[in-house]
Amino acid sequence: MKRQIPLLIVIILGFIFVVHTFVPHKISQDFFDWYQDWIKAMSPFAVFLGIMSLLMVHGTKIIRKATNWQYSVVTLSALVFTAFAGFMWGTQEGTPYMWLFAHVQMPMSSTMFSLLAFYIASAAYKAFRARSAEATVLLLAAIVVMLGQVPLGAAITHWIPDSAQWILNVPNLAAKRGIALGVGLGMVATSLKILLGIERTYLGSD
Amino acid sequence: MNFLIKLQSLDRRWIYLLVALAIIIPLLIPFDSKTYTTEPVENIYQKVDSFSGKSNKAILMVFMHDASTMPELFPMEVSVLRHAFERNVKVFTICFTPTAAPLVDYAINTVREQFPDKKSGIDYCNFGYKPAALMVPMVLGMGEDISKAVDIDSEGRKIANLPIMQDIKNYNEMNLIINFSGSDYGYTWITYARSKFGANVAAGVTAVMAADAYPFLQTGQLLGMMAGLKGASEYEKLDDVFASYKDANYPSGRPFSKEIINETIANDTFKISDQKVYAFKKARIGMNSQSAAHILIIIFIIIGNLGYFIEKSKQKQDQ
Repeated sequence: MKRQIPLLIVIILGFIFVVHTFVPHKISQDFFDWYQDWIKAMSPFAVFLGIMSLLMVHGTKIIRKATNWQYSVVTLSALVFTAFAGFMWGTQEGTPYMWLFAHVQMPMSSTMFSLLAFYIASAAYKAFRARSAEATVLLLAAIVVMLGQVPLGAAITHWIPDSAQWILNVPNLAAKRGIALGVGLGMVATSLKILLGIERTYLGSD
Repeated sequence: MNFLIKLQSLDRRWIYLLVALAIIIPLLIPFDSKTYTTEPVENIYQKVDSFSGKSNKAILMVFMHDASTMPELFPMEVSVLRHAFERNVKVFTICFTPTAAPLVDYAINTVREQFPDKKSGIDYCNFGYKPAALMVPMVLGMGEDISKAVDIDSEGRKIANLPIMQDIKNYNEMNLIINFSGSDYGYTWITYARSKFGANVAAGVTAVMAADAYPFLQTGQLLGMMAGLKGASEYEKLDDVFASYKDANYPSGRPFSKEIINETIANDTFKISDQKVYAFKKARIGMNSQSAAHILIIIFIIIGNLGYFIEKSKQKQDQ
């Protein structure tokens, strides 16, 4: 029963949504409206689950004084303080919540992402070598696309951005489309397997 | 020759230092550089422009990212908002991740500093943060009735009662969706809003994600795309050249024209230094840094490969 009931819910609702997509009948539309109301009511519970999970994981770490437990204190303090600031003074411009966003979250997140530039530069210098014909083609394509992305490329000659655009529009597009078609067919096959109850790994192992 | 071989084992901290300088100096000392516009960005601009002053047309800006990708995506959002406010185009905003919620307010407030007369609920409306689990039902629901699917805005007001909703019902009116994201190109909007309801979908993506979107651009499923800081700088430039351009013949900006674009590039008019509002030239200043960083990386690749080949030929000679 533990596996059969969820399986039945997935199969029945899955087929209902397939029918809803292809049959624009009033009953189908009413069902969708009803579903919208339900999902709106249900989704906030996911937040509680998330908070519970975070509290349990980090709370356990703090209690047991696990390695780097101090970071867990920072995580939980940030959770409590940010939520408190939001509930207490709102989330509009000029509130402590917005201050936290502009002066803590924004610079820290941007800093993390910007580290990519340093790693790319270092990797390009240390590892980007023309060791084979394929690597040479990749290397030349990278140089043309990088130059084509900046104003200097077009200032040197219009061939650079034109070539960069050709690389993106032809070989890149062909490869991406091939991958997308493969992924698409895989998704259809997996969806059918789920709808027919063949694929059950999402139910867990026991 | 030996120098190039020795450079092979250069401490990576020197590389980091050079990259930091290449990025920081152009940011601290901005200089004028030319911005060339491309068709995918022009297509978005023209579509937004075509909604000018029409009460039965609106755009939806979807913020699907957090602060980490702000340097690339935020200038795009500011530019599109600026364009819409300049041209009296109704704007709706929404986000499906909690970390994007403050970004929406931040973007609107940044642009509103220059357009204080724009009012929430009349000229624009922030639908606010909606849980990701609601995304597909909402995308589908908005195809039938926006006020039913979204229900309330970020300020807790019933959407159906807002003046902005007059003449706006579904994707027939809110006919352009621009998805700003660092990790996808609006796949959900293409799959549901575009395929089922015929809504126009465009994307603002980080440069690393741009390559993935080309198949959808070619098929027309994506109307246009702003890719990374370059895409943002192009939109900024289009805003300067057309939307905010005012003279006796064009009191509310002039219509888009490729000839004018070519003319401004050839004559080097509408420079970065001509724009006085920093938020409206941020992407173009950033492009100076990006130019320097790209060139530095290319130099690194060339030096690294020269050293590699010299070392290789030396090893052959020794054998």
